[in-house]
Amino acid sequence: MEYDKILSDLLNRDEYHLVGKKTVRSDALNKLLGRTRFTADYIPKGTKAVRVLRSTRPHALINRVDISAALQMPGVEAILTAKDITGENEIGYALPEQPFLNDKKVHYVGDPIALIIASDDVATQEAMDAIEVEYEPLPPVFDVDEAMAPGAPFIHKDGNVALTTRIRKGDIEKGWKQAKIVIEDVYRTPFQEHMALEPEAAYAVPEGIDKVTVIACMQSPHVVREKVARVLGWKLNQVRIIQAMTGGAFGKKDDTGPLISAYAAFAAMKTGKPVAYVMDRSEVVSVTPKRFPARFKYKSGADRKGKMTAVEVEITLEVGAYANRAPFWLWRQTAHACGPYEVENVAVDGKAVYTNKVYGGSYRGFGNLALHFAVEQQVDKLANELGMDPVEFRMKNILREGSRTTCDQLLDNSVGMEKCLVGVAEASEWTKHKDPIRNGTKIRGWGVGCAYHGNSTSRSTPDWSAASLLFNIDGSFLYRTSICEIGQGTPFSHAKIVAEIVGARIESIKIEPPDTDSTPDSKPTHGSRGTMMGGTAAADAAINLRERMVRVAADMLRCSQEQVELRDSVAYNKKEPSVKVPFNELAEMMHIRGENPGSYGFYTSPKRFFDAKTGLGVNYACYTFAASVAEVEVDSETGEARVIKIWPAMDVGKAIDPLSIDGQVHGAISHGMGFVLMENLLVRDGVVLNPNFGDYIIPSAMDTPEIADTILVEEPYKYAAFGMKGVGEPSILSAVPAIVNAIHHATGIWFTSLPITPDRLYKALKEAKA
Amino acid sequence: MIFELNGKNVGVEAKPTVTLLDLLRGELGVTSVKKGCEQGECGACTVLLDGDPVTSCLILAPQVEGRRVLTIEGLVDNPLVRELREAFLRNGAVQCGYCTPGMLLSGYALLRDNKRPSEEEVKTAIEGNICRCTGYVAIIESILDAAERIAPD
Amino acid sequence: MKPLTGFELLRPSTLSGALELLATLELAWPIAGGTDLIPQFKDDGCESKHLVDLSLIRELNGIKMEDNFIVIGPMTTQTQVISSRLIEENAPALHEAVKLMGSPQIRNRATIGGNLCNASPAADTAPPLLVHDAEVKLTSLEDSRWIPLTDFFAEECTALEPNELMTSIRFPIVHGASSSFQRIGRRRGFTLSVLNLAVYIERDGKNLSEVKIAVGAVAPTPIMLEKVERELKGMRMDTNLLEHARKMVSEAVNPRDSARSSGEYKREMAGVLTERALSAAWTRVGGKLP
Repeated sequence: MEYDKILSDLLNRDEYHLVGKKTVRSDALNKLLGRTRFTADYIPKGTKAVRVLRSTRPHALINRVDISAALQMPGVEAILTAKDITGENEIGYALPEQPFLNDKKVHYVGDPIALIIASDDVATQEAMDAIEVEYEPLPPVFDVDEAMAPGAPFIHKDGNVALTTRIRKGDIEKGWKQAKIVIEDVYRTPFQEHMALEPEAAYAVPEGIDKVTVIACMQSPHVVREKVARVLGWKLNQVRIIQAMTGGAFGKKDDTGPLISAYAAFAAMKTGKPVAYVMDRSEVVSVTPKRFPARFKYKSGADRKGKMTAVEVEITLEVGAYANRAPFWLWRQTAHACGPYEVENVAVDGKAVYTNKVYGGSYRGFGNLALHFAVEQQVDKLANELGMDPVEFRMKNILREGSRTTCDQLLDNSVGMEKCLVGVAEASEWTKHKDPIRNGTKIRGWGVGCAYHGNSTSRSTPDWSAASLLFNIDGSFLYRTSICEIGQGTPFSHAKIVAEIVGARIESIKIEPPDTDSTPDSKPTHGSRGTMMGGTAAADAAINLRERMVRVAADMLRCSQEQVELRDSVAYNKKEPSVKVPFNELAEMMHIRGENPGSYGFYTSPKRFFDAKTGLGVNYACYTFAASVAEVEVDSETGEARVIKIWPAMDVGKAIDPLSIDGQVHGAISHGMGFVLMENLLVRDGVVLNPNFGDYIIPSAMDTPEIADTILVEEPYKYAAFGMKGVGEPSILSAVPAIVNAIHHATGIWFTSLPITPDRLYKALKEAKA
Repeated sequence: MIFELNGKNVGVEAKPTVTLLDLLRGELGVTSVKKGCEQGECGACTVLLDGDPVTSCLILAPQVEGRRVLTIEGLVDNPLVRELREAFLRNGAVQCGYCTPGMLLSGYALLRDNKRPSEEEVKTAIEGNICRCTGYVAIIESILDAAERIAPD
Repeated sequence: MKPLTGFELLRPSTLSGALELLATLELAWPIAGGTDLIPQFKDDGCESKHLVDLSLIRELNGIKMEDNFIVIGPMTTQTQVISSRLIEENAPALHEAVKLMGSPQIRNRATIGGNLCNASPAADTAPPLLVHDAEVKLTSLEDSRWIPLTDFFAEECTALEPNELMTSIRFPIVHGASSSFQRIGRRRGFTLSVLNLAVYIERDGKNLSEVKIAVGAVAPTPIMLEKVERELKGMRMDTNLLEHARKMVSEAVNPRDSARSSGEYKREMAGVLTERALSAAWTRVGGKLP
């Protein structure tokens, strides 16, 4: 269903009342008053504490786990191992072979072995110290090439390559023949740690012997429910999962949510008591999933006019101990491999490889961040070789309506790449910055980055979302979505959409905290799908309800349905606006008349076709496009670089709330800037050496660059309500390459790996001079 | 021991191995003060001790004897904090909300002592409050916005 | 991370009370602002059984001028140090260093004595105090002695005897002198220094009549570069001297590679920052550079 058109016909407004306007979000005041409860704020004094005993070896067999001494320690309630599991000992996301608790083998430093439940932190620590684990060390593998080499120790039973991907499009040899210049290089990106401010926490309460309630931070309550039920060996309706307000996630809590909830639920059911599992910062940084490190062997060619003719990419994704999100991550990289450009001849080969390190998981931008880091430098290099301006070169190649993407998907709707690129070029006065500018030891440079990001899931995985809406008898609304509030403001955008459609005052809509006992399954909060998919389900629910509201209102107002307008929680006759029916009266009448005051919204993504053999097909419902220009300043004497200013642009389809879009853009720029300049997870022999804010450096307020107003491009996606597309991730994808390309502009140095710390930059400058 | 919390005298058993953060959250139910790192690096646990911003995770409970502790709950009706709240709301400076109470306390301490801070001074005042959601832009704007309203040129 | 456990907190209000506790109790350690110790306890556990809180001892806090010395109590917070005009005018390097240390929250608790006694080679207050010829007073129940700060640091420890406390820090006021602090950090916000450095100079016309250089994070303790100081003393201040100083300092230090930075980088930056510090201090004393 083409929801964009459906809504514009239905509402027939020149200007929307709420959609597209800046609105104060409904949860902000409570957060400002300090009244909002996050998971740990729910835990009553005296609740038993859960700790996880984790492997201290990167790769080993477990010969023996002796908990007998630990069981005697004061305050210990229980110690649970794999043999106590009543359901399945399996918690892997995509590929199996991720035990919930390991009893046979450990695959990385941090792999869970046992749960300790005791009265408090001191008791759990002492019990943990008293548990003896006898390991039989196996040779660890810390490098992807070593992992793939013949004779390498197997981390999982089927070998160290978790999966492969492949695209063959056109005729790559022909493409090389047509190329006047060919650029080939290897790009590497490291781990990145999300550093969400709230450490993971889960609080579980047994409800009798056959049900458990868990309050925790997460991004997908129904996935959490499924995983918890699986470990307990229970039916879905025996597990109740409630998402508490979550203090930042950026993808990680999509992976940790099920784990922490399962630890807490399992412990609660085994002890018969409420329990709480709260991670400390060092545990979060040491053991929870990270952005996957990646390597791209990238070869691209362009003809003399600057048109790209061939792209050949070999992607090696370092997975770490478990596959987790790897299939989705690698496929996304594969399907986007050319970047936001039209290239006829493409060959991509991807491999996801296990190593004995902390494993990869969801992180804003997914594999596309590493990909665009590689692509945008390749593109700048091609432009450089041809003596062409980087923006001009991009303009010759970018995707437009009618173009085909890397995986041969025809873009027949909603392609705002050009407007984004032109927008940032103009806003930054790009043509005035042909040359870097020197001022003493400081050099200023400018760089551009373009990006695109398929919304939601790939490869024709069925995708849908649901929502429900209740019109209470007093005229107030309860809206339900299991798209989670993790700071990005998406559920509030849903409320705005609902308010726009049913004509309610925004204050009259309350959003239920996601609760699997009552909230419909909107599917996960990831892939920038929360607004596009979840919001369209909200619109569907609202459209259904509106129909009944208008019918009853017409009756009450004694006019035709076409004459009914709903606005500010009042129904009135457009021809006689002074005749009004307030919503509490409307609601009451609906109840009396038996006109269903509740509605269920369901939205399914248009059917897509994908051939896994060729890697070609319609991969994503729609793409968000983004572009950034960055101005950086390098101190050539010390190698210190700082971002002075960023000009961001994004094609969001339709802006639901400019304030929240800005929030996503600014936040993403911060993560991106950190990734380029300062974030550096140090892992040696499988051990994370800097599991704290002091040594894993992320941007502080002092590091904030100037950010120009976001250029909002709106090329509506016809199947989503109001034409909206995802925002949360694309904002990081163009900022990172823009900064890297600006550093090149300033210094003449291409940095094919990150982070670009002062000592690296200084060394590179010195070597370049020599 | 007795100390003043949000304007009221409170008597508690203050164990030396309990931080002020855990005392506030665990014993006294003051949950606006958040635990983010326990090493003084993130600022989520910021409170005002005798008016000065400090990270409560680095203070041992007995050390606040006879002193004044203020959290955001104790400043609800403070006019300066109210201006800050309005500014944060207007400018979209609240996302996940975890850093928010600490940000407000640092912002309040700044504007209380410096009516028209420069942008650099605002950044310095909240340097110890890490935010991973907003990129700080809207927060800095909000504090400057509130300053402008309370002390217009 | 580990829970805090196994210690009691004692809060004496007099210096003699504190010294008494340190002398009589086993595994008694002093605690100042706690901004280094408490994170260490959370990482590694706490071996002490009795923490002796010094924050109630008034005589350990404060900044004053006495007999042409600036005298600082070790429990003086970094915030207090920043707001001292006395320090800003007479030891600008110290003022600059402390401004960069930590966040406002940390500075409101962290103490200058704590920074020195924690004995990190990257302690930011060390280079400025060293170049200003600082001395520290170490006191026990029995005795009290002043030692030059240059003699205070040793690898992973200090000159403090068991049962001793640092009870005062002082450095002379020298009219017509100035100093400068420089450092490299991994971000603009508060962060441990990758390298830090302070320079002190006295000007005589166009010449440097006195030069002191102290560098942190290039050795197990902060160090002074006496050979370089002797070489530069009395020389004419110009771009040649700056270049010369840069080379000499780079050659004089021998930093190792660390997780935070390569040794080579620190070596080169020691030279670069010396140049910058010399220029800044020279300008402060009214000197001109072509």
